[in-house]
Amino acid sequence: MSEAAPMLEIKNLAIQFGGLKAVDNLNLTIKKNQLYGLIGPNGAGKTTVFNMLTGVYKPTAGTIYLDGENITGKSPAQINKHGIARTFQNIRLFKDMSVLDNVKVGLHNQKKYTAIEGVLRLPRYFREEKEMDEKALELLRVFELDSEKDTLSSNLPYGKQRKLEIARALATNPKLLLLDEPAAGMNPNETAELMDNIRFIIEKFDMTVLLIEHDMKLVSGICEEVTVLNFGQELAQGITTNVLNDPKVITAYLGE
Amino acid sequence: MKKTTLNNIITCGMVLVLFIVCGFLSSAGVLGSKLSGLLIPIGIYIILSISLNLTVGILGELSLGHAGFMCVGAYVGGVFSILVQDVVTVSWLRITLAIIVGGIAAAIFGILIGIPVLRLRGDYLAIVTLGFGEIIKSISNNIYLVKDVNGLHFSFASPVSGTDAATAVDIFKGAQGIKAPQDTTLLIVVIVLMISLIVIMNLVDSKTGRACMAIRDNYIAAQSVGINVTKYRLVAFVVSAAIAGVAGVLYSHSLAVLAPKKFDYNLSILILVFVVLGGLGSMRGSIIATIVLYALPEIFREVGDYRMLIYAIVLIAMMIFKNAPYFKDLFEKFKALPVFDKFRSKNKVKAVGGESK
Amino acid sequence: MMSFISYLVNGISLGSIYALIALGYTMVYGIAKMLNFAHGDIIMVGGFTIFTAMSTAWCPVWLSVIIGIVVCTVLGIVIEKVAYKPLRSAPPLAVLITAIGVSYLLQNIALLIFGSASQSFTSVVKNVAPVTIGGVTISMETIISIVVSLIIMVCLTLFINKTKAGKAMLAVSEDKGAAQLMGINVNATISLTFAIGSALAGVASVLLCSSYPQISPYTGSMPGIKAFVAAVFGGIGSIPGAMIGGILLGVIENLSKAYISSQLSDAIVFLVLIVVLIVKPTGIMGKKINEKV
Repeated sequence: MSEAAPMLEIKNLAIQFGGLKAVDNLNLTIKKNQLYGLIGPNGAGKTTVFNMLTGVYKPTAGTIYLDGENITGKSPAQINKHGIARTFQNIRLFKDMSVLDNVKVGLHNQKKYTAIEGVLRLPRYFREEKEMDEKALELLRVFELDSEKDTLSSNLPYGKQRKLEIARALATNPKLLLLDEPAAGMNPNETAELMDNIRFIIEKFDMTVLLIEHDMKLVSGICEEVTVLNFGQELAQGITTNVLNDPKVITAYLGE
Repeated sequence: MKKTTLNNIITCGMVLVLFIVCGFLSSAGVLGSKLSGLLIPIGIYIILSISLNLTVGILGELSLGHAGFMCVGAYVGGVFSILVQDVVTVSWLRITLAIIVGGIAAAIFGILIGIPVLRLRGDYLAIVTLGFGEIIKSISNNIYLVKDVNGLHFSFASPVSGTDAATAVDIFKGAQGIKAPQDTTLLIVVIVLMISLIVIMNLVDSKTGRACMAIRDNYIAAQSVGINVTKYRLVAFVVSAAIAGVAGVLYSHSLAVLAPKKFDYNLSILILVFVVLGGLGSMRGSIIATIVLYALPEIFREVGDYRMLIYAIVLIAMMIFKNAPYFKDLFEKFKALPVFDKFRSKNKVKAVGGESK
Repeated sequence: MMSFISYLVNGISLGSIYALIALGYTMVYGIAKMLNFAHGDIIMVGGFTIFTAMSTAWCPVWLSVIIGIVVCTVLGIVIEKVAYKPLRSAPPLAVLITAIGVSYLLQNIALLIFGSASQSFTSVVKNVAPVTIGGVTISMETIISIVVSLIIMVCLTLFINKTKAGKAMLAVSEDKGAAQLMGINVNATISLTFAIGSALAGVASVLLCSSYPQISPYTGSMPGIKAFVAAVFGGIGSIPGAMIGGILLGVIENLSKAYISSQLSDAIVFLVLIVVLIVKPTGIMGKKINEKV
């Protein structure tokens, strides 16, 4: 595993809002098929890093390489096409659409029929729609959501909404999956289930995952390596167990 | 068959049967001249409301300039028909050509207006579309087009200078508008209506429609799954504009005289009322609302004066009932009554999982 | 040159009326994050109230004006309580449609009572002779519009920056939740904002109907929309922005009426809006708002 090529390389990444340096001089390398954790106290800049990786914010300095390709400063949609998909801390589903349609939106760029073919109902429309339905159901099955495919996504319970968001992200066929606090608001059973799901995804879809998490148990349970952020700066980096026992990290979390 | 497809076929069938029955009754003389006269305008208004529903219900942006696109279609198509009147004498062919020309003109305006407007969202977009609607109306109010032996003469002021007085014919006369040949027949309206309905419903039930609804529901999430938001917003906006333009062509060819002041802000609002009351995103709802709201006040003349007042109250009440937390809770409680148990689907969400707030 | 100055002064006068209306839009937008489409129609209601009061023999002009302003203020509060308050947490599209509904409702009530024809409005300063300064004749209405608007703007700025209630308004517009936690009565503050905005609309109705002595159920809608353009022009949510935007828009409208085309002046006003929104969507004085991800 350790010889695998880097999937994501972040070099000297920084962003400034007005006078505030939200993230400063961040360096990070994630190898293929790795499950990497990004942790830190509230307001440390974790989600800001995600927003830069996915093009929501333009970094003030630094570069981001995905699979060897420079993707710094591209638009969110372009970055998704390059192979980064994400979930959101405050769930962002397409709330007035069914569970199945949410995933089908994720499959959008993989099917090539045009609007005109759709309106005229040419053969490619039927063929590709059928493929989309099958693929979407397959993804929903991973998260045991297939029996609820026609439910309105906003009617799902919280834990399932989080899973649906992951399924939708996977549908875009990414190389790298960014999960922003996927276990937030879940009970211990659901969290355990989610951990299994994440391991399964990495194997089945040949995926690389970067995870933001507050739940230390989850992080130490599944992440091989972590980076700890504090006030926008890297506090520690390395093998999870070592980092979590680092006195600096403990201080940052528990205070002096 | 998919549920959506079946639903769409039912909607189309409903419209078709309704117009065939009414058309038959009308030609048999059972319907009376007053009701028969309503069929063409109702058809045109249905086309307008389903096209606006594409922007408001599916794309989730409030356009207050729909009358502007209708105006473009009406005048471009109308002027075209007047000019070719002597060459193309078959009326159905003339209006077919006019529909194509008017629809394309409205689509071009849709692109020209859409590119700047769609950089905005929400309230700003609404007000700018309103602005464009007013600009189109004011400009139409000042167009003077005269034809004589030397060709066409155009001016923003009356009288148009340099025309040959002996052969000059007014084509577009500012605030008085145009007199297009009355080529619109019920059959043509029904054909155009069915085509528009099928185009819109097929578009909605495809990749494109899903992309638009995704943008409506969550702009940022739609971008995050790789949707080119600018492209799909423009597609929906332009299709909506083009169909409104087509409705405009039918409109200008159904009236003896058509003055630009018809296409004011109130017309846009009227169509919006049909769309909102029929249910945002529901084509069938728009159709039913348009028929009921257009026909009833015409039939019961005594309520005609109060029509707009009633629309306004219903508009406010609808929004409050649908969105106010108090009424939402009430509605949920009502739905939870045991009486409705048998209607509930078996895979209804169970109350498991962390309900976090 | 003289005529240019006269157009300019008239433009400033019209612009200061727009500014008063724009202040209402901007304050409400800042605090309730909604476009109060009915704001223009409140002007129309104010105009008709004064018109009716003045046509009764016993009611003096000053009392009519006060009645008009009070009616507008109460109307603004009632509209907020009945139509907008239940929709605080609703999607923006629903709120916008409701506001359009309210605007439509007011227009149609006026239509049923007063009919659609324009009626002539007697200026509140009809017997005062115009003033001539250096060869330029300026009507009393013009002078009053400018002076009254200036006084109101100064008072409003002082009110917002110096008083407790004014600071509460700023706090609520910044962050409703945090303001509530600090002990500010958010509902009362929003009501107060609507009350002030509508009172300003009442004042604007006096000035507008006196300067352009006509009134119909549609009197309010165009000035209302143009004032919104002014508010956007100056940067929505910004009080000095609304003033500058209003005056600039009035000047642009009057000069384009005089030198380009009186028919197309409305089109030019909207063109200004579109250009502003495309070049600098936040307006002259506005600040950028980012959606939190």
